[in-house]
Amino acid sequence: MSAPAPPRNDRRDAVGALLGQIWDDALDPGYAAAAARRSAKEQSAPERRRRAVGAAVALGLVGVLLAAAAVQTRTARPVVTEQRHQLVQRIHEQTRLNDQLSAAIASTGAEVDRLKSAQLATTAEGEQLASQLEALGVTSGALAVQGPGVRVSLDDAPADSPLVDPTKPELSRVLDRDVAMVVNGLWAAGAEAMSVNGQRLTSLSAIRTAGDAILVDYRPLTRPYLVSAIGGPTLESQFAAGSAGASLRTLHDAYGIRYGIEGVQDLSLSAASGLTLRYATTEGAP
Amino acid sequence: MIAVLGLILGIVLGLVLQPAVPLWAQPYLPIAIVAALDAVFGAVRAAVEGLFDDRVFVISFLANVSVAALIVFLGDQLGVGAQLSTGVVVVLAVRIFSNAAAIRRHLLGA
Repeated sequence: MSAPAPPRNDRRDAVGALLGQIWDDALDPGYAAAAARRSAKEQSAPERRRRAVGAAVALGLVGVLLAAAAVQTRTARPVVTEQRHQLVQRIHEQTRLNDQLSAAIASTGAEVDRLKSAQLATTAEGEQLASQLEALGVTSGALAVQGPGVRVSLDDAPADSPLVDPTKPELSRVLDRDVAMVVNGLWAAGAEAMSVNGQRLTSLSAIRTAGDAILVDYRPLTRPYLVSAIGGPTLESQFAAGSAGASLRTLHDAYGIRYGIEGVQDLSLSAASGLTLRYATTEGAP
Repeated sequence: MIAVLGLILGIVLGLVLQPAVPLWAQPYLPIAIVAALDAVFGAVRAAVEGLFDDRVFVISFLANVSVAALIVFLGDQLGVGAQLSTGVVVVLAVRIFSNAAAIRRHLLGA
């Protein structure tokens, strides 16, 4: 049926030839052979009828197959939707449970604090311990704090800034080390407590990057980045005059990174979540 | 004529009885249908070309479906089920297209 193919040697032609062969041989060669045989000898009428019934049965099978597949796909879809719905419901349930438990933790923690301070207030030694606890709580992030401070905002360069290098746009984005630099600068300028986008920093907080996101204590942040620090009245001027302030100005002038430093009269930082006590042990001890 | 009646009867039967496809046969159903369609289109083309033969049709239909299912089964056992299925579907689809084009040429003359 097909015209003889010209000799081909490269691989693409081989693939083309293969597809062409499938295309050309689409009709089962058996049909042509049967037709040739049929013209040679005439069939009897009963035999023809029997064969026609055979073909009808085969087509009937095709019909059953088609119908079964149609029924199958129609009944399978609701099951999938139902399963997804159940999953969504379970997620909502667990989130609600989580919220309830968090609230319970918060209220129990407040109760413990109240009892603790009431107990400590009864003795002189206790009062000394209480003030020590409070000072430690502020620096470790275990206590929520409130007071005057500084808010430093950081954001990527605007997309239309002439300082954005189109071949290296990542240079004009805020990096984890920029956030860490601001945080360290604020500590150096005398900050007592700090949070990044509402995430309270502790002495063990890590500021890292994963992919495009900046993580603080393994929680991803979204831009703009807002570092809030509570400290004395000189915090803002000391930060701006320090090396971190100078680095911020360089980032702004060279890469278009946006930043802002403002003094705030009344900042409140929440306590850090997930603080656990760690116990030191000597080597060899159980 | 009887053949078309058979097809309609089959579809009606399938819709009325709603045969439950056993779980083990479910991966083979789509491939079996494509193979069956290939046989049907081949038969229609043969009919419009005046070459139709009942025996060739029945045998090619049964053989097509079982070979297609066998290939998928083998592929699943060997861990290349998806690739083999793709290959089978490509070949059968090319044939269906070619036969449909031939039918169209015969019926419409274009």
